[in-house]
Amino acid sequence: MKYPAFLIVAAFLCTALASALARAEAQSIRIVATTTDLADITRAICGDLAVVSSITTGQEDPHALSAKPGFVVSARDADLWVRIGMELEIGWEGPILRDSRNRRIQVGAPGHLDASTNVIRLDVPTQAITRAMGDVHPMGNPHYWLDPLNGRIVAKTIADKLCELYPQHQNAFQQNLRDFQNDLDNHMFGQPLVTRFGGAKLWRFLNDGTIKQLLATADLGAGDGWYGLLEPYAGSHIVTYHRSWIYLLERFNLPVLAEMEPLPGVPPSGRHLAKLAQDMRDKQVRVILQEPFYNRKAADLLAKRSNATVIVHANACAGSAEATSYLAMLDSVIRGLHNALSNDTPQP
Amino acid sequence: MLKLTQRLAFLSLVVAFSVLIVPAARTQEPATQDLAQVLRTLSQQIQDIKKEHAAAIQAMQREIDALKAQLQQQTAQTAPPAADTSVPAAPIAPITPATPAVSRDEDEQQLYAAIKSSAAAMLPATPVPGVDLDASVIIDGFYHYDNHKLGVSHLKNSLAGFSHAHDHDDAGHDHEHSVIEDGFNLRHLELGLSAAVDPYFTAWTTLAFDDHASEVEEAVIQSSSLPWGLTLSAGKIKSGIGRMNRQHSHNWDFFDQPLVYDAFFGDHGLTDKGLQLTWLAPTPFYVLLGAEAFQGNHETVANYLGSDPFPRHNGPRLWTSFLKVGPQLDDQHALQFGLSYVQGRHQEEEDHDGHTHYFNGYNRIYGADVVYKYDAKRPHGQGDVVLQGEFFHRERNLELLNNGQDYNNSQNGYYLQALYGFKPRWRVGARWEQLGVTNDVHDVHDGKLSYGASNRTSAMLDWKLSEFSLVRMQATQGNFATAHGREEFWEFIMQLQISIGKHAAHDF
Repeated sequence: MKYPAFLIVAAFLCTALASALARAEAQSIRIVATTTDLADITRAICGDLAVVSSITTGQEDPHALSAKPGFVVSARDADLWVRIGMELEIGWEGPILRDSRNRRIQVGAPGHLDASTNVIRLDVPTQAITRAMGDVHPMGNPHYWLDPLNGRIVAKTIADKLCELYPQHQNAFQQNLRDFQNDLDNHMFGQPLVTRFGGAKLWRFLNDGTIKQLLATADLGAGDGWYGLLEPYAGSHIVTYHRSWIYLLERFNLPVLAEMEPLPGVPPSGRHLAKLAQDMRDKQVRVILQEPFYNRKAADLLAKRSNATVIVHANACAGSAEATSYLAMLDSVIRGLHNALSNDTPQP
Repeated sequence: MLKLTQRLAFLSLVVAFSVLIVPAARTQEPATQDLAQVLRTLSQQIQDIKKEHAAAIQAMQREIDALKAQLQQQTAQTAPPAADTSVPAAPIAPITPATPAVSRDEDEQQLYAAIKSSAAAMLPATPVPGVDLDASVIIDGFYHYDNHKLGVSHLKNSLAGFSHAHDHDDAGHDHEHSVIEDGFNLRHLELGLSAAVDPYFTAWTTLAFDDHASEVEEAVIQSSSLPWGLTLSAGKIKSGIGRMNRQHSHNWDFFDQPLVYDAFFGDHGLTDKGLQLTWLAPTPFYVLLGAEAFQGNHETVANYLGSDPFPRHNGPRLWTSFLKVGPQLDDQHALQFGLSYVQGRHQEEEDHDGHTHYFNGYNRIYGADVVYKYDAKRPHGQGDVVLQGEFFHRERNLELLNNGQDYNNSQNGYYLQALYGFKPRWRVGARWEQLGVTNDVHDVHDGKLSYGASNRTSAMLDWKLSEFSLVRMQATQGNFATAHGREEFWEFIMQLQISIGKHAAHDF
C-alpha cells in the first residue's frame, strides 16, 4: 500500500461529498450580517422569513475582530451577507468569505450587500491619506449607523435587496420596512410630529437644515422624540474617545471638539489630554462620550481636569444591557447625552 | 351597566363602529384588567380587519375599474352590483390616513433624492481604482546575542539524530534563514502580492529576498468558484498541515519557529510545488479536510537525488492529508484541533571516510495540533489569551542501497505556548519545546542509537505600536543534545518588524 493516507482521505471525501449533496436545503432565508446593528435592522425587515446572525457581538471594537472557525461556518450557509462596508471589516471579512467557499455571498455576487451603498458619509478624505495619519479610512468614517437617518436608509437598502432576491415576499418586506421606518421616525420626532408631517418630510427638512421652518408651521414644538430631547443643547461641544460618534453628534448638531485619541487608533497621550483639558475648559465642554470597550482611566482624568461628565455607551446593538436593539442603543446614548447635558453640576 | 353594554357592543363588533368605540373605552377608564385585555386584543383585531378591509377595497376597486372598462366597451346596460355602487368611482385610497399616504410616498422619494444628491456632492473627485492588486512589503530586522561560542545557529544544525539531514549537497539552496550572527541582522525581505484573477481564480505570491538570493516562498493560484465547499490550489504552496506551517515568519508569535519545525520541515516549513484540494464539510461546526500532492523536492521530508545509484521517481513524491475541526463555542472562545499526515519519498547520501552510503525510502510524519483563543472583547488584544501546541512524530524508513538493509529512525518533538495580552497592544508569551523525546536512530556504523532530547524555553514580550509595526524582545534558554554532547546556551533577541502597503488579512 503505497499511498494509504491518500486513499483513506479520498474515500472520506467521497462519502462526505455524497452526504453534502444529499443534505436537504433549509427552508428559511439565512442571512449573516457583519454587525449586530445590521442584524437587528435586517431582522426587522425580514420578520420570521429569515434567520439572521451577526459576526460581531456588539461588545468589541469591530475594526479588530479575531477570526474564528465558527464565522466560516456561518458564512458557508448564508444566502445573503450584509456588511457595513467602507473598510470597517477589512481586517477579517476577506478570509471569512474566501474560506466559506460560498459563491452566493462573494463580493460582487447578488448575495453580497454593502449597506453603505446609499448612506450619508462623513470624513471622506479630500486628499491623499497616509498611515502616518492613523487609522483613517479612505472611503470615509465607517461608523455611519450611528446617524438614525442612515439607519433608515440602510433599512431601505436591505429591503430593496431582499425584494430583489425574494420577490415572492416583497409585500412583507415592504410592510416591515414601513413599520421599521415609522418606529424609527416616532423615536426621532415623537408621534405627534410624525402624524402631522410624516417621517420622510421631517427627515428631509432636518437634513436640509430647515426643520425649524417646517416645525413653525405647526404648534407642536420640537416634539418629544430624540430631536426634541437634544434640540435645546444644539451647539454644545462634546469630546469623544475615538472618532466613532461623529455621525450621531453631527445629526443633533453637537459638534465634536476633539477626540481623546490624538490620531485615530492611537491611544491618548498625556500631552494631548493636557491640551484637550484646556480646550474643554475654554469651550465649556460638559460631556465626554466613549464606548465601554475603551479604558475609562484617561476619560476620568480628563473629566476631573475639565469639569465634564464621562458617559459610557455602547455604539452597537447588544453592546450593553440597555442596547437590546438598534433603536434601543440609539435611545440609550441619546438619553445619556440629554441627562449629561441637562445636568448643571457634573457628576462625581 | 355601561361596561356591560360595551362588552356586548364589542362582541357584535362591526368594522365601522370600532374606530369610535376604542377611544370611547379609553376615556371611560375601565376598571378591570380583563376589560383592558379584551380591549387590547380587540383593537389588535380591529387593526387586522382594517388592513384586510383596505386590501379588499383596493381589490374591489380594481375589479370595478376593470368592469367599467368592459362596460364602456360593450355599452351594455347591466347594472353594477348594489353594494359596489356606494364606492366612489375615483381612485380610492386606503381607509387609514387617507390622502397623506400618497404624499408620504412622495416624501420618501424626495428624501432619498435629496440624500443622493448630497451624498454625490461629498464623494471625492478621484474614482475608486478599478483593479485591486494588493502589494505589501515586510521588513524584519533584529539584534541577536547568544552566549555559545559556536553560535546557536550552528548548534541547531548539529542536533543529535537530526544533523544527517544537512549533510547532503546543499547547492542551489543559498537562501538560508538559520545563519544568524551576533549583532544586527535583517531577516529576508518579504514581498507579497495578491489579487483576484477573474471570476474563477484568486492568486497570491510571497517573494523572499535577502542580500544573497531571492526565493519564491509561495505562489498560489486558488479556485474561487468550485461548488460543494471545495477549493483547489495549484502552484508553490505552503502546506496546510499543522498549525504554524502556513504562517509566514512575520505572523509567528515568537521570533523563531519551533525546533520541531526546524528539524522536520526546515527553515521554510513544508512548502513545495503541487496541488492542494480542501473541502469544508457541511457540518454544523467547522470541519476542513485537505489533501495535497507535491512534487517532492524538500530537503528534510522528500529529498530527491534521482541519479545513479538512486532509483528514479516521477513526481508527485510527497503526499499530505490533514483534518481541522473547530467546535462551535460561545462568542469569546475559539478552539481548533488538527491532525496531519505527511508521506514523502526520501533519498540521502552520506559520506564516510572516502566511501558513500546511499539511502532510499520514505518519511512518514504524523502530526496533531490544538489552538485555543480567548477573546476578552477589549481593544487591541487586551486580556486575550492564546494557547497552542503541536506534536509531530516522524518515521524514517530507508534502505541502504547495494546492501538491502533497512534503517529505521523514529523521532518526535512538540511545543506548547501561551500568549497573554496584558495591556492594549502588549503581549507576553512563554514557550516550552522538546525535540527528540523519542530519538531512535539507526546508524550504518554505530548501529541503533538512542539520543536524548533537546529542550528550549522562550519568553517573549511584544508591542504592536499599530497594526503595521511591532517591537519584540525574546529571551531563550536552550539545552541541546548535540553530536558532541549536551550544550547549554542563552539567546536574546530584539526585533523590529513593519509592514507597508496592503497586506491581505490573516486567517484564524
